[in-house]
Amino acid sequence: MATISSGGEPAHATADREIVIARVIDAPRELVFEPFTRVRHLSRWWGPEGFTTTTRSFEFRVGGEWDFVMHGPDGTDYQEWITWREIVPPERIALLHGESRDDPNAFESVLTFAPDGAATRIVMRTVFPTEQLRDEAVEKYHAIEGGQQTLSSLAAYVTEIGRKGAEG
Amino acid sequence: MARAATTSDAFNAIAEPQRREILALLRSGERPVTELARNLGMTQPQASKHLRVLREVGLVRVRGAGKQRLYGLDARGLRPVHEWVGGFERFWSESFDRLDEYVQELKQARQEGPHDGDDQ
Repeated sequence: MATISSGGEPAHATADREIVIARVIDAPRELVFEPFTRVRHLSRWWGPEGFTTTTRSFEFRVGGEWDFVMHGPDGTDYQEWITWREIVPPERIALLHGESRDDPNAFESVLTFAPDGAATRIVMRTVFPTEQLRDEAVEKYHAIEGGQQTLSSLAAYVTEIGRKGAEG
Repeated sequence: MARAATTSDAFNAIAEPQRREILALLRSGERPVTELARNLGMTQPQASKHLRVLREVGLVRVRGAGKQRLYGLDARGLRPVHEWVGGFERFWSESFDRLDEYVQELKQARQEGPHDGDDQ
């Protein structure tokens, strides 16, 4: 089910079960794409502030897998698993994200990298198979981040939400 | 009376674009109403009205500092919004923050010369 959601569905059909996050990064897109392609890069930035990762295996190719553990700042470990569905350097990455290879609730995220002047606009779009799975993922990741709420990150949400409101 | 519904919680309070601009300005620190009004190109009574709404829902607090009253962010009020938005978005939002920082480091390193060990 999740396999057909690679960004082809009209927005109104998926609005209640998708999450879209965009960011403009001041660098050419080759440079923004590269940190997604190797463990030594990913381990530097993957996850929220204060999180680290330990990789068991990593093979960046279509059908390859990234098997890793995410360590929260409070010492809690989270099993994570990713497989790549589509890799188009430096434009697009589609990946399936779950807790393990046989996770029935794994969901697909599509990352696109588009030039924006000299910068790069990166968009992460996740369409969940159902609204319920979307809510469950939101809950799960909320639990992952439990507690560490800084004033600045909370406040950053105001601008995030504002931007989304402006985009309709 | 009908006004009450539009200002009764954080969601309604931040639905107004100018109030979001006020919150964005307060992220960098406390400010007096005169400065907020000037920065946003509104009159002082207009800014005061928005600030009152933001205070009522706990997004903004005020304290006296000499003759001035300084308005500051009270992020506790954003908690319900944060919880509704959920951790998944924040997960990516914070990851993108860190990615941005890391890319800037890479960019800097490239400009300083090729010294990139290709080990994994």
